[in-house]
Amino acid sequence: MMSLRIPFLAALVLALAPASMLRAEPAASALPSVASIVRVNSTNQAYNFVRPWTKRSPFDRRGIGVVIDGGRILVTAEVIANHNFVELERPANSEKVTATVEFVDYESNLAILKPSDPKFLDGTQPVSLAKDVKVGAKVNVAQLEPTGALALTPATITTISVNRYPVDSISLLTYRISAPLQYRDYSFTLPVFLGDRLAGLLMRYDSRSQSADLVPYAVITNFLDRVARKPYQGFPRAGLTFSPTRDPQFRRYLGLKAGQSGVYIASVLHGSPAEKAGLRKGDVLMQVDGEPLDQDGNYDDPTFGKIPFGHLISTASLPGGTLALHVLRDGKEVKLDLPLEPRDPASVISEPAIFDRAPRYYILGGLVFQELSQPYLREWGVNWKSDAPARLVYLDEFQDELPADQGKIVFLSQVLPADTTLGYDDVEGGIVKKVNGRPIHNLNDLAAAAEHPVNGFDEIDLESDPGVLYLDAQQVKASESRLRDSYGLPSLNNLDDPATQPAK
Amino acid sequence: MRQFLRPTVFLASFVAVLACAQAAGEDLIHKSLVRIQTVSQNPDYTSPWNAGPIDQGIGAGFVISNDRILTNAHVVSNARMIWVTREGDPNRYTASVEYIAHDSDLALLKLANASFFKTMLPLELDGLPTIESTVLVYGYPIGGDHPSVTRGIVSRIDFEDYSHSGADSHLVVQIDAAINPGNSGGPVVQNGKVVGVAFQGYNGDVAQNVGYIIPTPVIKRFLTDIADGHYDHYVDLAITDFPLDNPAARHALGLPDNSLGVMVSRVFAKGSSDGILEPRDVIVGMDGHSVFSDGSVDIDRSNVSMAELVERKFKGDKIQLDVIRNGKPLKLTVGLQPYPFELYENAYDVKPRYLIFGGLVFQPLDQNFISANQITNPRTRYYFDHFLADNLYKDRPEIVILSNILSDPVNAYANDFRQDIVDSINGAKVRTLDDVAAAFDKPADSYVIEFLGAGRPLVLEAKAVAAARQRILAGYGVGKESNLKP
Repeated sequence: MMSLRIPFLAALVLALAPASMLRAEPAASALPSVASIVRVNSTNQAYNFVRPWTKRSPFDRRGIGVVIDGGRILVTAEVIANHNFVELERPANSEKVTATVEFVDYESNLAILKPSDPKFLDGTQPVSLAKDVKVGAKVNVAQLEPTGALALTPATITTISVNRYPVDSISLLTYRISAPLQYRDYSFTLPVFLGDRLAGLLMRYDSRSQSADLVPYAVITNFLDRVARKPYQGFPRAGLTFSPTRDPQFRRYLGLKAGQSGVYIASVLHGSPAEKAGLRKGDVLMQVDGEPLDQDGNYDDPTFGKIPFGHLISTASLPGGTLALHVLRDGKEVKLDLPLEPRDPASVISEPAIFDRAPRYYILGGLVFQELSQPYLREWGVNWKSDAPARLVYLDEFQDELPADQGKIVFLSQVLPADTTLGYDDVEGGIVKKVNGRPIHNLNDLAAAAEHPVNGFDEIDLESDPGVLYLDAQQVKASESRLRDSYGLPSLNNLDDPATQPAK
Repeated sequence: MRQFLRPTVFLASFVAVLACAQAAGEDLIHKSLVRIQTVSQNPDYTSPWNAGPIDQGIGAGFVISNDRILTNAHVVSNARMIWVTREGDPNRYTASVEYIAHDSDLALLKLANASFFKTMLPLELDGLPTIESTVLVYGYPIGGDHPSVTRGIVSRIDFEDYSHSGADSHLVVQIDAAINPGNSGGPVVQNGKVVGVAFQGYNGDVAQNVGYIIPTPVIKRFLTDIADGHYDHYVDLAITDFPLDNPAARHALGLPDNSLGVMVSRVFAKGSSDGILEPRDVIVGMDGHSVFSDGSVDIDRSNVSMAELVERKFKGDKIQLDVIRNGKPLKLTVGLQPYPFELYENAYDVKPRYLIFGGLVFQPLDQNFISANQITNPRTRYYFDHFLADNLYKDRPEIVILSNILSDPVNAYANDFRQDIVDSINGAKVRTLDDVAAAFDKPADSYVIEFLGAGRPLVLEAKAVAAARQRILAGYGVGKESNLKP
C-alpha cells in the first residue's frame, strides 16, 4: 500500500539518442577502456540542520567518473553533494586536476563535472551510451586496482522497474544487477558497461544480497538531453497517487467490466499536472499515452518489460508537451491531456533533500525558527521516523494533504537560553501559526512580522503548548549582538531563497 | 510465576533488624501482615476474542480497621482467585476485592470468613514520615513463604508517576530500602504505625537503592472516597499550564512583577474547566493560596505543586480560582470532575472491545492495545500520540482501527488497510466502535469503508460477508464476534 501511495514521479527515456550515440552495436568481445574513466575525489561538507548556522566535519567521497562527449565527466550526484573541493585523477598516470560541477540534478542523481584544465582529458575516450538493454543482459561493473588497472566484475541485469531514487523523492527507471563486488577504493559510484557502452551508474549496493541498483542509460540519456535544452527542466511528475484494482469487490463497486483494466486515482495533488489535466480522485486511469494499464498500473514496454506507467510520464517523453490519458469516470471513458511538467520547487512544503546551500533559519531573541524539511528530521538518525518529533514527522509524511496555501511549515526548532527567553527553555517543536497577528507561511513572513511588534512585544502564536510566547521587542534588538557573540552565531538569520540562487 | 512489583527493581539486601524494632516487627508480622496469592487472567489485546493467559502472583497486604485488608491495586488486578495466608496458620482464606483504585494503586480486600480477623491486629495509619527518619518495610519479596523485613530511611517526598495506571502522578515517599517484587502492598511502618504502602521501585541503571511507597495522605484519600460505597476517580482541572517566569510574557499579559501566576495553555473539552477557563488566563490563586509563577503553592508551610490542592478534593467538590483575564482580575469556581480521557491509562478488570466483520477486526486504540501491539502505521501512531496534544479528540472520541485481518477470500485485498483509522462506513462517520457496529447492522448490498488518508475505500459485499461468516468464526476459533462493552 505504502509504495502505491507515494506520488509517482517519474520521467524518461528519449526515443532518439543524440547522433553520437547512434553507433553500430558493439562486438560481443568489446570491453570498456580505462581511458574512458577517471577517479573522482570530492571533499564534501554537509550543513548541520539542528544548528543551521554551522557545517559538519568535511569528508571524502571517492568514485569513478565516466568521460562523455564535450569534455565532461559523468558521476552520480551523491558523490559531489555538498562539495567543497572536487579533484579528478587519471588512473594510468595519477595526473590530478581540480574540477567544477557543471550541472547537478539530485532527482535523477546525476552530475556533470568539468576539469579546470581541458588538456587533462587529452587521450581519453568518451563513452557512448547503451540502448535497448533488457533483463538478462550481461554487463561489467568497472572498478580500479590501486595500480590504475581496470577491474571488471561480470554482472547480470535481473530486474527493471521504476523505483524511488536515493536522494530526492522521485521514482525513475531502475536497473537491478546481481554482482559479487569486492570492496575497492573509489567505489562510491561505479560505471557499468554493456560491451564498451555505458549501461548505467551504480547508485546503491547491498553486499548481503550482492545486488545493486543502477541509474540506467535511459535516465542518463534523458538527463543529458534535458541539460542540452536551456533552461533545464526536471523530470516531469504527474502529482497523483493511485491504488490497484485487483480486488473483485472493489472492481464491481467501480463498475469495471471484465475486460476493463486500470488503476484507481486515490488522490490528486494541489496545483499538480494531474489536477491541471482535470484528473479527479475516483477516476480509473486506463491508458497512458496509448498504453493500456493493468490492474497494478503497469504497461508492457518493448524494452523494459512490465513496468509502472510512471515511466511514461517522467522519462519516456520530451520536456514540455502533453500526454494523453484515458480515464473511466462514471462509467464513461474520458480523454484528458496531462501536461508534462517537473515539480515546482516552490510548491514543495517539506523538501525531501537540500544540498549545496545553507538551511534557512531566523533567530528572534534566542528563539530559533526553521522551515520543516526532511534533512532536519533526518538529524535524528536512521530511526528518525520514530525518534524525531511526531508532529513534524507526520506533517512531512502527509504533506500532500495540507491545504494548497500552506506554504512552508515554520516551527520553533530550539531556544537559545538568553535574558529574552527566560523560562522558555523547554519549549520545542511548536509550529508557528502567527507572529504579531500576522499569519506565517514561511520564514520571510516571520521576519517581516517581527518588524511590527504589538505594544512593544513580539507575540508568537504556537500550535502546541504553551500556545503563545512573548518577547520584549526592545530587549530583542538590544540583545542581538550579545546573542551572536555568546553562541558564536555568524548571523542571526539566513533567508536566502533557493529559487533566487543560481543553479550550479 | 510473576511476582508483583512494577517496574521491576534490583535485589534488596536483607537488613539485620535491631532488637527493639524486631519486637514490634514480630507482632506485626504475625498479627497484621498477610501474604496474598492470586491467579489472574490478563486480557489478550492481540486476539481480543480470546480469554487471555492465566498467571499467578504473590504480594503483601495488611489488616486495617473494620476487618479489611489493604494492598496495591496491581496485586489484585484482573484476579480470578485471591487467597490470603498469614504466618503461623496453614489455612488459605479466599478473598475478594471490595474497592479498587487503579489511579492510586490501592485496593481493599474482604474475606468470606470474617473469623480470620479475630486474632488479627489492625494497623493504624500515621502521617507523612519526616525526611531522614527510619522506616521498616514488610512483605514477601521475590516470593517466599515467610515474611521479610528491610529497613530504610526516608530520602525524599515528591510527586511521582504511578506506573500501575501509567497516567497518574501523586504524592510518593522515596526510601532507600529496596522494594522488590512481592513487597507490593506490604506495610511500611514507623513506630508501629503505617506511614505507607510499598508499591514500586526504580527501573533503571542510573540510580540504586530507590524504593517508592504510597504515603498516608493518598491512602486516606482513598478510604475517604469509598466511604460512600463507591470509588470515584481522582479529579482534575483538565488544563495544561505554563510557568510565567518570563518578564516580557508577564508584562504582555498585564501582570505585575510579583512572581505570581501560571498561564493556562489549553483547556480540554468536557473537562472540569471547559467553558470556565480560557487559554491565556493567568491563575494567580487557588482556594486562597497564592499560585507562584512556577506552578507551586505553599500548603502547611511546605512548597508543593498546585496540583496537590486539586488532589485533596473529591468528585463534585469545587475549587476557587483567582484568575487574570485580559489584565482584569476574575474569581472563578470550577466544579471538579475526573480527567475526561482514559486513552493513556492502563485499564484493568475490563474486557477488550472489538468487532469482527468479514474477518476484519476493528478495535479502538487505547493504552492496553498499544502495549500489546506494535503500531507501525505512521498516521495511526501520530493520532494516538497526539490525540490530546493536537486536539484530535474533538473530531472523534475514539480512534477505531482495522487492527487485524482473519484472512479469508472475502478480505483478500484488505491488507493495504492494516492499522488504518476507520473514517466512515457507507457515508456514516465513525467516531466510536459503536458507530462501526451500527453501520454494519444496517442492511445494505455492500459496505464501503473509508479509512483516513487511504485514498481508496475498502468494499465488502454483504452476500460475501454472510457467506464467509461461519467459515471465519469456526476456522479462527472465534467464540464471540464482538464485545462492545468493557
